[in-house]
Amino acid sequence: MTELRKSFHTELAEVHAELMRVGAQVIEAIPRATRILLDMDLEGADYMVQGDDEIDARCIAVEEHCYRILALQAPVASDLRAVITALKMTAELERSGDLTVNICKAARRIYGHEMNPKLRGIIAKMSEQAQQLFANAMEAYDESDPAKAAALDDMDNFLDALQRQFIQVIFESHAAGSIDLQVAVQLGVVARFYERIGDHAVNIGEKVRFLVSGWMPEHVGAVRHRMRQEATPMAGIPIPTQADRNHDS
Amino acid sequence: MKQGAPHTVDNEQTSDSPLRGLSVPVSGTADANQAASTVFDIKDLSVFYGDFRAVRDVTLTIRQLEVTAFIGPSGCGKTTVLRCLNRMNDFIESARIEGSVLYHDVDLYDPAVNATEVRRRIGMVFQKPNPFPKSIYDNVAYGPRLLGTRSKSELDGIVEESLRGAALWAEVKDRLKQSGTGLSGGQQQRLCIARAIAVQPEVILMDEPCSALDPIATARIEDLMTEIKQKYTIVIVTHNMQQAARVSDRTAFFTTEINLQGDRRTGRLVEFDETRKIFSMPSDERTEAYVTGRFG
Repeated sequence: MTELRKSFHTELAEVHAELMRVGAQVIEAIPRATRILLDMDLEGADYMVQGDDEIDARCIAVEEHCYRILALQAPVASDLRAVITALKMTAELERSGDLTVNICKAARRIYGHEMNPKLRGIIAKMSEQAQQLFANAMEAYDESDPAKAAALDDMDNFLDALQRQFIQVIFESHAAGSIDLQVAVQLGVVARFYERIGDHAVNIGEKVRFLVSGWMPEHVGAVRHRMRQEATPMAGIPIPTQADRNHDS
Repeated sequence: MKQGAPHTVDNEQTSDSPLRGLSVPVSGTADANQAASTVFDIKDLSVFYGDFRAVRDVTLTIRQLEVTAFIGPSGCGKTTVLRCLNRMNDFIESARIEGSVLYHDVDLYDPAVNATEVRRRIGMVFQKPNPFPKSIYDNVAYGPRLLGTRSKSELDGIVEESLRGAALWAEVKDRLKQSGTGLSGGQQQRLCIARAIAVQPEVILMDEPCSALDPIATARIEDLMTEIKQKYTIVIVTHNMQQAARVSDRTAFFTTEINLQGDRRTGRLVEFDETRKIFSMPSDERTEAYVTGRFG
């Protein structure tokens, strides 16, 4: 078998490799942001905020590369899915990078307030779980492994449970007077950042399944919409015209 | 006989034809309900040139008012199969077929079938525009005259309708008496399409109709195909995969395999499906490899 479009396929491989590199940056950023939050490391926070600009720039570069490929190479079949997947993944990676920055910004806002060991423990667990999810999502992408991608959902459920547990501990800590309201609100938002990183990892998993088999996720909203359409008593019944109305009267 | 007017093929010109009497819808008579009905039903078709089997195992159906594209590398048999559909291979002495080609349930290779009548119903446009060295008018009127149309006004009507149908009328209406060979390549090809539709075929076979044309002329022909498929069933062989993706409803991918007779290759059908499927999610990995350029 002769490879006919070698340079084009080399370009696709470059896009893949670059996304893996950006993914690695995000995977590293998650525990780093957590450390900054737990250690109240303001200098580290500034460093992270600047570092995110690099992730943004690389995501834009990949996006532009994908547009160029679409315009010049007219990819089809698996090549087309590879470009579409890459385009959509840039959005997930860029947003996940932003969320790690948001965690660092939260560290600035709660600077000077102590967190009890229970809160600190769950933050560490959420961070680990979010990082693991993201690493698995990038691995699934690297290996084009739809089974690994599909398994991300269950891992995400555990992260969601941790977030609920964390919120409960925030309530308890606030009630016991160990954190004030401002800190409680900030921590609630932080929990949400980890949970969102998990969602982006799950989205990457969905893109991997699309890449491999063309599979499209059936989103809950779309299912609800379809069911409402089917359940509407008016469905399929023509709207009466003026003539019908006259006839009835 | 005006184009667009309903008529059946059971008329004077075809009275001796074994295809006579079939209620086959011809151009202009097919309605939307028949859009998905089968025109050709090809089963286990093999084509031989002497002892050499050029193509084997072709089973596919061609549906009415659709554009079906044949794609594949050189020597895969796509043109050979196309030429079977109006018995053009009859002109090659050593050619013979196995399997069956049914046209509206009539076996095209039944000895009783009149090959000329087959070719009237199933027209062909070739790779290189081949207008006759006659005037534009006479090029289009040639077929109808041969079939017995004599009336000047009737011929005028057919010529205008056909040239309009081929999107050429506006460009040539003031110079119908000039030679067809004086037109540009793209215009010549549209003239050949006008000539093909002048005898009101049901099917138009196109053998790489744009390979000798520039991109603008190619775009015109592609547009034209989308327009005329309202009236005609089209089968197109093309080397340009993007063209197949743009114009066709269904695509057949052929490939070649080495056979036991030395280094000669036999073509075979690999996959036949909706075009959007072939170019987004083909079922066979050989199709995937071909459309993405990982095989050649």
